[in-house]
Amino acid sequence: MITLDQVSKSYDGVSRVINNLSFEVLEGEILILLGSSGCGKSTILKMINRLIDPTEGRIYLDGKDIQQQDPIELRRSLGYVFQGIGLFPHFSIRENISMVPRLLGWPEDRINNRYRELLELVQLSPEIHADRFPDELSGGQQQRVAVARALAADPAYLLMDEPFGALDAITRDSIQQEFLDLKQRLNKTIIFVTHDIIEAVTLGDRIAILHEGRLEQIGTSEEIMENPATDFVRELFAKSVKFWKGFKNIS
Amino acid sequence: MNITSLTDYIIERLPEIWQRIGEHIFLAGISTMTAVLVGIPLGILAFYRPGLRGPLLGIVSILQTIPSLAMLVILLALFQKIGVIPAIVALILYALLPIVRNTLAALQGIAPEIIEAARGIGMTEWQRMRLIRIPLGIPVIMAGIRTASVAGVGIATLAAFIGAGGLGEFINRGLALSNTRLIFLGAIPAALLALLVDLVLGFIEKVCDPKRNRHWSHRFHFALKLSIVLIPLFLLIPVFISSPPWSSQTAGSSERNETKGINVVRIASKNFTEQLILAEMMAQMIEKRTHLSVDRKFNLGGTIICHQALKRGEIDLYAEYTGTGLMAILKLPAMNNPDEVYHRVSEEYLNRFNLVWLEPFGFNNTYTLTVRKQDAVQNQWKIISDLIPMSSKLVAGFSGEFQERPDGYPGFQKVYGFKFGEVHDLDPGLIYQALAKGAVDVIDGYLTDGRIPAYNLISLTDDKKFFPPYYAAPVVREEVLNAYPDLREALAPLGSLIDNTTMRVLNYEVNGNRRGVSEVVTEFLQDKEVL
Repeated sequence: MITLDQVSKSYDGVSRVINNLSFEVLEGEILILLGSSGCGKSTILKMINRLIDPTEGRIYLDGKDIQQQDPIELRRSLGYVFQGIGLFPHFSIRENISMVPRLLGWPEDRINNRYRELLELVQLSPEIHADRFPDELSGGQQQRVAVARALAADPAYLLMDEPFGALDAITRDSIQQEFLDLKQRLNKTIIFVTHDIIEAVTLGDRIAILHEGRLEQIGTSEEIMENPATDFVRELFAKSVKFWKGFKNIS
Repeated sequence: MNITSLTDYIIERLPEIWQRIGEHIFLAGISTMTAVLVGIPLGILAFYRPGLRGPLLGIVSILQTIPSLAMLVILLALFQKIGVIPAIVALILYALLPIVRNTLAALQGIAPEIIEAARGIGMTEWQRMRLIRIPLGIPVIMAGIRTASVAGVGIATLAAFIGAGGLGEFINRGLALSNTRLIFLGAIPAALLALLVDLVLGFIEKVCDPKRNRHWSHRFHFALKLSIVLIPLFLLIPVFISSPPWSSQTAGSSERNETKGINVVRIASKNFTEQLILAEMMAQMIEKRTHLSVDRKFNLGGTIICHQALKRGEIDLYAEYTGTGLMAILKLPAMNNPDEVYHRVSEEYLNRFNLVWLEPFGFNNTYTLTVRKQDAVQNQWKIISDLIPMSSKLVAGFSGEFQERPDGYPGFQKVYGFKFGEVHDLDPGLIYQALAKGAVDVIDGYLTDGRIPAYNLISLTDDKKFFPPYYAAPVVREEVLNAYPDLREALAPLGSLIDNTTMRVLNYEVNGNRRGVSEVVTEFLQDKEVL
């Protein structure tokens, strides 16, 4: 379980990018952080793996304050899929996926088994893709590799920062479906950042809606749609509710 | 010149060409390698310490703006040594800027999202440097190394000015003798070498570029192995194809003869024809008339370099001029009587430096203003004062030394009371040609210079007796004279052997008739029956 307790972040000491934020991520769920760009979604993920430290408040991972932990070990224990993928262009797919196990000092044969397993898990072929380089793969394939890399050391938590944002609509659709199947099999706790309401509704067990660094509402998509807590949430969902109704009428 | 004689000319010098190329690669190679070993860590340091960036880049930039010759002379003063060491240090200092700058740029130039990913998956600072920044920055760093290497091959030609050998040796000698063939002999291999280095490093740079090479990590390792093998091989070339640069042919061997107990006399010369002839003359006399062997350290970059080397015992003797000793070295006021000058200089040298002036060769190679013969006839110029009416229209070309020395242009203006319309600073090796080709109208010629008749020039009489006497004589370390008593005897026959006309003829044989120095010297000594 990840707990944020009254977390704030300010870069200039005046304006707050994250303002007094508290919520919990429950064991085994996908929590979606939904909001427009600049609302501080990515900052939250970066604070959880200590790429950024909060100005105020505490973050607990399984009850332990992450500020008390070694940041390097903490990061290696969390899977992270970066916005814009962030694969290392000079390493092959195999080397990219094996990076964290290698940093953790796994034995060679275990690493070899693991990358094959992971490639198959994300529906790539170890024979065809392992020795290729990131720019030799399509966007969707790169995205799968990024997920495989995040899963490499079998972390209990997965942080995903708009992982499918750069994909075309059709590819995104199928990869989202795959991702849900994958999630069923893996039993990970996932925080997933997006600005796309449809993606949030499709993938999320619960959704946390952020606006200007504040939490507007947190709950399942049904709860939020039926019972929006603020005007902002109501307006945000108004369009998509229309869309869903229209979608249901057609079908 | 026909093809056969050109080929012969090259073949004859082939062993030396190889040796010089070897020395050149050694100088450029060892200095670039050291600069890489120093520069890359400095670049990394600058990357981590933004506060150091400005000062560090400032210093390496300033180092690069110091003119190469000035740098060599500064280091010479600093190290108190001629030869390989100051040359290599100078080359290292020049190579630093491109390497430090490119290393810093390479490390800064990595896409921030890649660095964030590296941090985010839990790489330590050092792992990010080793696994991400350096491998991705290699092409840019390699480009810096390539720039430094190519420049290094070029600058290394100047190392010969301080006796460090290399292809500059030919260029220097060529300039001293105004022999274009010799200049090409140094310049063409140096240019080819620079091109070769550029090609090889360009290839390695390409191979290392992860954007151009799919499976670059393998290629990178290949290239790394290749360079680990090739670079030391390059450095070993001098050892295999010739004697290594620290052997007897070049400087840097200063302490050798003492330590090994071999009886070697080290003779130096400045970088102009007459000095080469006198040095060769003394060398042949010693070789023929004593059991001593001679180490020729010819063509050092000037009076100060020769004198410093002699004082420090890096060389044992060279020919100096009384006037130069009096004013340039001892900083004493000018005197006109040749005997007085000689006695004063001998006395002071012995007291101050333990250096002995032997009997002068006999000729007086003073400065004199020199003009084209046709101008002299046309304007009826015979003495220097004849120039006064036209002086403001005349363009002078003077050597750097002449413009600075009190017995040169500054004193000249006081005594004669006029100056020239324009004065250009020219290399002493080029001024005669510049005058003959009409680029300038007046130069500071030497009275005995063979190029005066060769180029159809004429010297004007010093009617105000301004220029002091410049009688040449061997200057020897007292210690060496005591250690080898037959040395003095061996050189004695050279005393008063050469008058002004004879010296001019000898100089002309070399400059005008393009004959080899040692050949001219041997012929002369045999003719005088002193060998």
